[in-house]
Formats: sequence, structure tokens, C-alpha cells
Amino acid sequence: MLALTVDSSVMNISEPEQAVDTAAEPVGGAQRENFDVATVDVAAESVEARRARFERDAMQYVDQLYSAAMRMARNPSDAEDLVQEAYTKAFSAFHQYKPGTNLKAWLYRILTNTYINLYRKRQREPLQSNADSIEDWQLARAESHTSQGLRSAEAEALDHLPDSDVKSALQAIPEEFRLAVYFADVEGFAYKEISEIMNTPIGTVMSRLHRGRKLLRDMLADYAVERGYAKGAAPELKETEN
Amino acid sequence: MGDCQGLGDCADERIGRIYEYLDGALSRDDLKEIKAHLDGCTDCAHEYDLECVIRSVVKRSCKEAAPETLKAAILARLHEGRPAEV
Repeated sequence: MLALTVDSSVMNISEPEQAVDTAAEPVGGAQRENFDVATVDVAAESVEARRARFERDAMQYVDQLYSAAMRMARNPSDAEDLVQEAYTKAFSAFHQYKPGTNLKAWLYRILTNTYINLYRKRQREPLQSNADSIEDWQLARAESHTSQGLRSAEAEALDHLPDSDVKSALQAIPEEFRLAVYFADVEGFAYKEISEIMNTPIGTVMSRLHRGRKLLRDMLADYAVERGYAKGAAPELKETEN
Repeated sequence: MGDCQGLGDCADERIGRIYEYLDGALSRDDLKEIKAHLDGCTDCAHEYDLECVIRSVVKRSCKEAAPETLKAAILARLHEGRPAEV
């Protein structure tokens, strides 16, 4: 098991370098907080002004951080504690946050640090599935290359898996892979941003993503078979190695 | 993935290219190359499609709304005025 270590003393995440080219529409992680950048004088700012700025800029990410915390802490109560603690730390360190840089990535880094420091050593508890997830999430950012009519039986089967199965599959893959996959595929963070959030080299991020995605795919295929969705299709799903 | 050799010598390398493509991590030239390849190769287009579905399903499943009580608690602590330990 790889050690997942994040240096909590380094809270500032630099602006991610622009990707060479973006193959797909940039999603959440790529968005910039570019309001008031020139006007905020962090050193001269009053506590009240800082609090107002924090509320305005950081509170919009509570749902996202909570969703991520649920993939870390595994139950709603611990996830709430984790997010509460992360926000408390984030506010107390907010003078170190450089306006104009990626605030969401900065918050995620604090969340990840907090998780590692507070929860990771806890005894693992069984996953509690949450059936009340919101279903209206938009489709993948890249357009599907094949038309719906040509979609394979495997793809069709996976698309119909209940959320509880997908969450269980994610929980079943090792933590450092799971978090890398979550940060990339759910939050749309670039490799460099993930490397800063998890405090690991980009090469490590890429290998975790590669391995994690393959594990996830295999797990999902197993669930599809259990659900009887993919008769005969699952073996092909697993054929990702020669 | 069949016998396709267009994106790499082994299936592992090919799926890696598809991940990078979806991650927006390819150079413009590589991007053109993989797009052209996906247009002509059913096996790789199938892998690509499957990966799109997986990402979409994972996004859908992981979207949770934080309880209102949590949001209220965060705001309440912000206004307590006591500096938190870092």
C-alpha cells in the first residue's frame, strides 16, 4: 500500500499550468476564480472582510467537498465532520490563499490533508449506501464517439448500474487510486492539480489513475454480471491486457 | 480491443492513450491522431465509449448534496470568531 502523504504546511496551490491542449471541454477543476483578484489586499484585509470573501468564494463548494468526503470517510456523519473541519482550517489559513489561483483545488488539498490527519487511521467501517443521490448529473464532458444506437451491451449495462453499486465499486479500490480517480473523473482536475492535492508527482498520479480506472472498470463489470445486466459481455470488459 | 495497433503496441498502452485523450492531456498533434483513429477503429471507439459511460456513471453516482445542517454549522463556526488550529 502506497503511503498517501500530504504536507499540510504547504497550503498554497499555484495556478495550474495551462494544459498543452485540451481534448475535451474543461470541467469544474479548470475554472478560475478571477473576480476581485486585483482588488484584494490580503495583508491589509480585515477579519470581517476576509470572512465575507471566504463565505462568498468558498461556501459554494460545500456540496462538492461533501461528496468527496463521502468517498473518504464513508459515512455521512464522518463526512460532515471532515468537511466542517476542512472549512475551519481553510478559513484560518485563508490569508495564505493567493487570490486568483484555483480555490477549489486549494480547498480539496485541505480536505485531503484533514482526512489523512483525522480519519485515515480509523477502523474501517462497512460502507453505508446512500440511495438518495441526485440523478440529473450531466453526461461525460466529451461527446460519446459512437451513437447511442451503436453503444455496446457492456456500456449499456454499466450505464444502468444503480448508484449504490458504483459507490461500492469505488470504495472497493485502494484509497490512493480511488481518490485519484475521483479527483480526475468526478471533479475534472488536471494531473498537475491532482499531484498538488495529493502531494505526489504527476507520474504517480497518472499511474494511480491508470490502475484505478482499470480496477474500477473490472469492479463495475462484476456488478453488472451480478445484476444480470451483461450476460456474456463481462469477460470482454476485462480484456484490457493482452 | 481486437488486434488494433493504431494507438500502441498493447491494450494497456491503448487504453492509456484513451484516458489521456479524455483527460485533455494530449498535445494537439496527438489529439488529431487519436481522433482520426477513433473515427476509423471500431475496437478503440468502443473502448472510448465505454470509458465515457464509466465516467458519466461515476459522476452521477457520487453527486451528493451536503445537508443544510452542515452548511449552517460551517457558517456558525466561521462566525464564532475563534481562530481554528491549523
